[in-house]
Amino acid sequence: MDGKLRELLDISENDFDVVVRITREEDIAIARQMAKQLAQELGFSLADVTKVATAVSELARNIYRYAQTGKIMIRKRLEESGGPTIQVVAADRGPGIESVDRVLARGYTTHERSLGIGLPGVRRLMDFCEIASKVGTGTVVRVEKRRRKF
Amino acid sequence: MDNNQVEMLVEELEVGNKHEEKLWRKLLLGVASGATGNDLRETIREPLFGLLHELGETALGAKLKLVIERTPTFPTAELLPLILELCGELRHDSEQAVRGLERMLSELATPIVRIWAEVLLVPLIGGLDSDRAQGMAERLLERVSTTRAKVVVVDVTGVPTIDTAAGGFLIETFSAVKLLGAEVILTGLKPEIAHTLVKLGIDFRMVAIARDLEDALRQAIAMIEEERSRQRKTAWVRGSNFPSEGGEHDGI
Amino acid sequence: MAFKDRVVPTIRIGDALLVPIQIDLDDKTVERLQTQLLEEIQEHRVRAVILDVRMVEVIDSYISYTLSETAAMAHLMGCRTVICGIQPPVALTLAQMGIELQGFLVARDLEHAMGLVY
Ligand SMILES: Nc1ncnc2c1ncn2[C@@H]1O[C@H](COP(=O)(O)OP(=O)(O)OP(=O)(O)O)[C@@H](O)[C@H]1O
Ligand SMILES: [Mg+2]
Repeated sequence: MDGKLRELLDISENDFDVVVRITREEDIAIARQMAKQLAQELGFSLADVTKVATAVSELARNIYRYAQTGKIMIRKRLEESGGPTIQVVAADRGPGIESVDRVLARGYTTHERSLGIGLPGVRRLMDFCEIASKVGTGTVVRVEKRRRKF
Repeated sequence: MDNNQVEMLVEELEVGNKHEEKLWRKLLLGVASGATGNDLRETIREPLFGLLHELGETALGAKLKLVIERTPTFPTAELLPLILELCGELRHDSEQAVRGLERMLSELATPIVRIWAEVLLVPLIGGLDSDRAQGMAERLLERVSTTRAKVVVVDVTGVPTIDTAAGGFLIETFSAVKLLGAEVILTGLKPEIAHTLVKLGIDFRMVAIARDLEDALRQAIAMIEEERSRQRKTAWVRGSNFPSEGGEHDGI
Repeated sequence: MAFKDRVVPTIRIGDALLVPIQIDLDDKTVERLQTQLLEEIQEHRVRAVILDVRMVEVIDSYISYTLSETAAMAHLMGCRTVICGIQPPVALTLAQMGIELQGFLVARDLEHAMGLVY
């Protein structure tokens, strides 16, 4: 797990179409907007564009809230075996998550004005979701969604 | 290569029809013009694409081989990248077409029918596999929104089994419909399915359940009536509070 | 309430306060929106607040939490909250995330919403 986190934290920004640095609250809206645009370019349905934008909104807000700064990286993948795919990596060197299993359960939150449904929601909206995190080192959430056939 | 040689080659190629003949002539004259680089590509692009479409890769390849053998000056090296590019375009086009057909098929599999003023019927057929099911849900929501339907009747008579995933999908779709402000009536649950659902802990509590289509329609009409009478009442209350507006709202 | 303090323009229709939401809701605006609505409920003694979200393209867990919180506050002031105009893609997203808009009545359009005021 530790190796995986290091590898993901060091992933090169050059491999991505868009990198949005999250430092202010306004950056959440920017990240969301970029995700939306790339999903549209890939020909996602309007509902799927909204799902991707919503997932990115959750990830960006988590960075802003719990790590203060971090980045959202997004890329389009045309040649994936399952069809055109959008991939998002949300990375920060913030406090980290103690138990990944626990944050993926609905209703777990350390924030007072929250429902604790962000990450479980992201997992349901996307086709793939992986979290690597270590207390004191940081958190990387990697998600992807492919274009539907029908 | 001069015009005569072009004509001879066209003859030798044993083309099937006038259209193909025209394309070959255009292609060979383009090459004969002595143009190179971008100019050449621009002139022969269209006839080459036409031939590829007409003959397919194999037959075009065989005929091009003949042309190249007969014409020592033929710019084979310049042609190759263009041909690859055109093959890619053709593949892209046919993929688009297949996608369109697939989408049409899935739409045919799940019709959405208006069975009464402001009532839509969705007869679900077959398994609720995820891609097709998601597409259906999206179309249903668009329809509910554009027609401003008040009630959606979902008939699952044609659904063989409902497992956890399919049950979860139905619950999601029902909640989404309700978020648009419409009601859902579920009908056509077979005893075996009801049995599994209870075991899985899926109760569809958020929707009304009907015995059969007739019962569903009766319930739907009752729901619409109830909303009408509530609206009438509102109009009356507002009318008495705001006499100046009363006239508009009382007229039923 | 002074005009400049309003985050969104509101319209009074009968006993209801119509709130068309067109801005991007961030932490600061949300708090100001809540303050504004509570003051207007108090001032106009309305029976219901109608949140019109036709223009909102994304509702994430944070926005839905805030909207539910606003509804709960309105409820304590004796006021209903009707949400109206949720767009189909937004409805599908909320449903898939399992977000319930607690404390809301849901309406198709304004006419339907007005019918839910009493
Ligand atoms: N990037 C992060 N760094 C550190 N901790 C995080 C990070 N992201 C999430 N967490 C922790 O995981 C918990 C659950 O996150 P999740 O997004 O599911 O819910 P939430 O943010 O608490 O509430 P909501 O997203 O519903 O508003 C958070 O309360 C926080 O403790
Ligand atoms: Mg969160």
